[in-house]
Amino acid sequence: MTKQKSLFKMLCLLSFLLLLLSGCWDQKEVEKMAYVVAIGLDQDEEDENRVKITYLISNPEVGSLAQGGGAAGEEPPREIISFTADDFITSRNLANTVVAKEITYDLLRILVVSEDFAKNKKFLRWLYDATKEREIRRDIKILVTKEQTSSFMIDNQPLLETRPHEYFEMLFNRGKKAGMVPSSDLLTFFRITEADADLFAAAYGTAQQNDNSSGKNKDPEQAIAGELQYGGETNTVQYAGSALFKEGIMIDTLTIEETRLMFLLHPTENPVAILTNLPDPFNEEYQIATRIRPNGQVKFDMNLKKETPSIDVTVPVIIEVLTNHSGTNFAKDSEKRIKLKESFEDRITKKFEELIKKTQDEYGTEPFGWSLVARKEFLRISDWESFDWMKTYPDIEINVSTEVRLGNFGRQGEMLNIKDVRD
Amino acid sequence: MLKKLLKKVYSKKPNVPEKSSTEDILRKEIQLDGNLEQTLGFFKEIYSYPDNQDFVIRNIHINGMSKKAALIYIWTITDVTLIDQHILTPLIRNNSTSSKIEDIVSIQSVDTKNVIKDILPEINKGSAALIIEGDPQAYLFSVTNFEGRGVEKSENETVVKGPKEAFTEKSSTNISLIRKKIKNENLVVESLTITERSKNDLFIIYEKDLANEKLVENVRERVNSLQVDAIQNLSLLEQHIEERKFSIFPTVLYTERPDRAASFIEDGYIVLIMDNSPACLVLPATFWSFYHSSEDHYLRFHYGNFTRLLRIIALFITLFTSAIYVGVVTYHAEMIPPDLLLAIAATRERVPFPAAIEVIIMELAFELIREAGLRVPSPIGPTIGIVGALILGQAAVQANIVSPIVVIVVALGGLSSFAVGDISMNFSIRLTRFLFLLVASLFGIYGMAALFTFGIFYLVSLKSFGVPYLAPLTPKYVSSGDTIFRRVLQYEMYRPGYVKPKDIKKK
Amino acid sequence: MEQSKGKIGIKEFIALTILMTGTKLADDTPAIIYEELQNAGWIAPLIVGALSIIPIALLIRVVTSYQDKGLIQVIDHLFGRFIGFLIIFILWGISFFALIIDTAIYTDIIGTMYYSRTPTIAIYALLMAVCAYGGKKGFEQIGSISWAVLPYIKVSVLIALVLSFFQGQTSYLFPILGPGEWEVIKESSLKLSIFGDFIFIFILVPFIKSTKDFNRGVWISLCIIVAEVTLAMMIYVVMFDYQSVMMLNYPYHELIRTVQLGFLTNMETFFFPFWLIASFVRFTVYMYIAAMLFGRLFKIKEFEYAIPALATLVVFVGSIPESPTQSIFEIRARLIDVSTPIYIILPLLIWIVAKFKGDLKHDKAKESI
Repeated sequence: MTKQKSLFKMLCLLSFLLLLLSGCWDQKEVEKMAYVVAIGLDQDEEDENRVKITYLISNPEVGSLAQGGGAAGEEPPREIISFTADDFITSRNLANTVVAKEITYDLLRILVVSEDFAKNKKFLRWLYDATKEREIRRDIKILVTKEQTSSFMIDNQPLLETRPHEYFEMLFNRGKKAGMVPSSDLLTFFRITEADADLFAAAYGTAQQNDNSSGKNKDPEQAIAGELQYGGETNTVQYAGSALFKEGIMIDTLTIEETRLMFLLHPTENPVAILTNLPDPFNEEYQIATRIRPNGQVKFDMNLKKETPSIDVTVPVIIEVLTNHSGTNFAKDSEKRIKLKESFEDRITKKFEELIKKTQDEYGTEPFGWSLVARKEFLRISDWESFDWMKTYPDIEINVSTEVRLGNFGRQGEMLNIKDVRD
Repeated sequence: MLKKLLKKVYSKKPNVPEKSSTEDILRKEIQLDGNLEQTLGFFKEIYSYPDNQDFVIRNIHINGMSKKAALIYIWTITDVTLIDQHILTPLIRNNSTSSKIEDIVSIQSVDTKNVIKDILPEINKGSAALIIEGDPQAYLFSVTNFEGRGVEKSENETVVKGPKEAFTEKSSTNISLIRKKIKNENLVVESLTITERSKNDLFIIYEKDLANEKLVENVRERVNSLQVDAIQNLSLLEQHIEERKFSIFPTVLYTERPDRAASFIEDGYIVLIMDNSPACLVLPATFWSFYHSSEDHYLRFHYGNFTRLLRIIALFITLFTSAIYVGVVTYHAEMIPPDLLLAIAATRERVPFPAAIEVIIMELAFELIREAGLRVPSPIGPTIGIVGALILGQAAVQANIVSPIVVIVVALGGLSSFAVGDISMNFSIRLTRFLFLLVASLFGIYGMAALFTFGIFYLVSLKSFGVPYLAPLTPKYVSSGDTIFRRVLQYEMYRPGYVKPKDIKKK
Repeated sequence: MEQSKGKIGIKEFIALTILMTGTKLADDTPAIIYEELQNAGWIAPLIVGALSIIPIALLIRVVTSYQDKGLIQVIDHLFGRFIGFLIIFILWGISFFALIIDTAIYTDIIGTMYYSRTPTIAIYALLMAVCAYGGKKGFEQIGSISWAVLPYIKVSVLIALVLSFFQGQTSYLFPILGPGEWEVIKESSLKLSIFGDFIFIFILVPFIKSTKDFNRGVWISLCIIVAEVTLAMMIYVVMFDYQSVMMLNYPYHELIRTVQLGFLTNMETFFFPFWLIASFVRFTVYMYIAAMLFGRLFKIKEFEYAIPALATLVVFVGSIPESPTQSIFEIRARLIDVSTPIYIILPLLIWIVAKFKGDLKHDKAKESI
């Protein structure tokens, strides 16, 4: 009785093994996949309803020292193909006319969109395909490029980070910490678009150096990607500033400075530390290098139920002075310190006010995520929706103030008075 | 259909001509009648004297009684000096006429039997039988001396801290090793003859005032109901008395450490001992008794639990690493951190097999090396290990048959499998690992979760002599709480409730 | 031997109840609630939990006053053969129907979120095979396994929730009342039967070691379930904001796809097996209850033997609907609406009849609730 049972089991096991060998269903062998790290989306030139898709495919053999990998040195680290398709889901099959391996989005890190396409009304439809596809995650990044994404990808040749996924990951991490670009997750994009209240800020980059501005000695803070002049032997691609999306359509770009201010005003997305120059109040000639860090939460006092709603915003920051070219000794002089503080406060508040005014006048709503704070003032969704943040925002009276707390004055507090030396 | 066919094949009894042995059986029923010559004739026939080399009949004349007598024994299993000094010499030198045999012979235990059938087993056990002319009974002197190893270090369950002695093949030694640890009049050593032909003895050891009577009765019944010709040792007995013969998990604990046996007895368990087995069986056994080792308690609290932690990790690594590798690489590639994924993809680029087959090849190779290492004569052993592990792995990688990551995965799993010391549990885990590997290659993580749930259902439904296999984890019982981790000794206050001991609280 | 009476203790019982109902936080139940309640979805479990106290208290009052009788026997006793049969038939219908659509949903989750190319029938068959095997093993084993796996499952859920809490923003919870307080109360009470499993738990009374254990177990598990479902629903909103969460089919699975921990960016395969084990156990219990009711209906003493057949039936019926994500979602939402009145009326009816028959009086001295 029992023996036949075991024979039976053996038969089952055999059929099991057959199944195993046949390799079926969801089984995928990792080495038979083409790992797309970035997808580029452009408007197709001829057909309005089609998109031009660019794939950046990573070559796994590059950068691997393991045995059995074979001749990694001879192969390029990446492969780029561009073609026209209906969407980036069906394009996976189309790509197989060129690429031998099966396309997978498992390693997809970044979605690159050209500025032209982002300004197109139909852009949102294609982007929402991402929610349907199983392999696309909600935490991938969005990057807006000035030029066509296909040429951007080709021009983008990082010298030291040859593996493309590593390059993008590190770039975004660093950019966010330095406050140069926003974090721009797909998740946040969807959320903000669906909530229909704020602006979404996406990272902005380009591979084209803008020659027009090269003549002028432009303040780097006022620049966006493509306007900064880099020399030397490096990648031509720049990431700086941000692209603003209103209701899923790109409307404008922000400069580096504006991006940073936006971070400081944001209740949750705080940069770690911003290195920047502020004018020296004691000598107009010089600039003081400072490190600005947020000092706790941005404080809001919202009064939205009034006829003209008002918002009081207080931004607490810590400013550390890193250079002191004028040689003024404020480290030991409390009066000078107060003056310095006031000048910082004025300067930053002015900048804030300019930006807020710009958002109120030009955009009609803000990229600071304030609507989330405003929501707390309402009890019911219906009240909130009838308040209509996007409509009300331009009329809100906004008062910004900055609370500066001076931090360290560098490693060495006192400064050599250069004038004295020259004497 | 198929089932019926199979049934037919297996239910057939082989047709081998058997020779009748009724004559032999009848002869054994004969009672002694005082006729020395005739009786000796029977014995000579039964033992095929003089063909049988170690069967001895020593004819003597007892002076005092002035009777002829004969001493019968098997010299290879008796203590010859004992016979010489304490039986033969007193008998021959004895002059008083009236004294009884018991008074003449200075041997420690004397028994009398008068049916040949009853005498034979005693002789087979190493007793000497004295038959006297005109006396219708035989005197049986216990002079057993089986040869065996001395008490040695335990080899399979080694400890660093704690007693090193192990059971030997001699049951009397083994019992004395246990008695050495439990000096209590309640320790009962029951003896049973369990087989029909070889007359193998089994000793059931338990503490009378601890062990549950029903459990002891259950064991007795199960052992008595065996209808087998011969069970040479405990390893075979284990397979005769376990409940589910096809279960992949062991349900009877086999240990070679007397200290472990003694501590089980002190918790109300039952221990079985047989000649020819350098070990004992402990029952009932739960999953935890296979997972634990005696050193866990000899080491201090933290150290002991640290080894426990390592062991449970090793157990899971053994079970899951290769399966997870296959499942993840073929079904859930997205969960691997990108650098690792690309590295795996790069190394697999030139490997001709699918990941599942690759891992199975490597696993089989590892098991082969392991089995070979166990069987080869010991001088060659290390060489096999080095050749197998290093050269084979390295060469296989260079020849692009397997990828280096698979070598790591398999070696890690193989290494960890040694952490589970019990040989039976070790096998069950190694076999289960292959099951996991199979389902992982069919269904990925889903399959593994299914098999895991299935396995837990199976474990939970297993019982060893009525005790749930995962007790006291679930179902809950009063116990010392010694499952995955152990407690501080002072807090291990209770004997395990699932064996239903008579005295639940330890003092 | 004498140890196995097939009864389970309070720990096993609580574990089983939690797995049975608490696992709902990880399927499409949240989606059903969010549909009406938007960001106030997390209040629903609180209200449902509070309202559930009434039917549960009534049932406890009635069922525990009979020694060693489960809901089935009590219904038989109170309503007689014919009406009793009818009521049990309805209960069986609901439980079996729930089993079918829930397993279909879970199969769909596995299919759409993880195994998009594997045929549904294969996933379904494996799911039901494990459940049928577990169901056949008997109730004591189901209890044991629940207790054995519960800690690991809950820890994994907790890790997922805590991680996402830190990645989300609490301000998404505002405006706190969502669609308005009356809407919240009304819609939640209509969704009362998301905790309807508690009725079926009363069938299991004869398997619990003592009625006192049962009594305490029910309340403790109700509290834990309410707490955990509320927490989970809150965190879905915190993670995704209400607009997005309303669009998600399976929030828990989107959540575990989105959370990250250090260098592990894609962690769903870490949480997935625990969810699977929880689902296996959950459906094993469902299966067992459905089989028990089935056995009572058709006078099958050894109802465990009916389990494989029932499981097969479930697979075939469950794989009928087209595009299951949407169609079953609707059926399920409707089932919740339909079974809500039963969840309220049945206990009330039982209590009234018991009162009328005078069965509650003489127990009053003994039982104090």
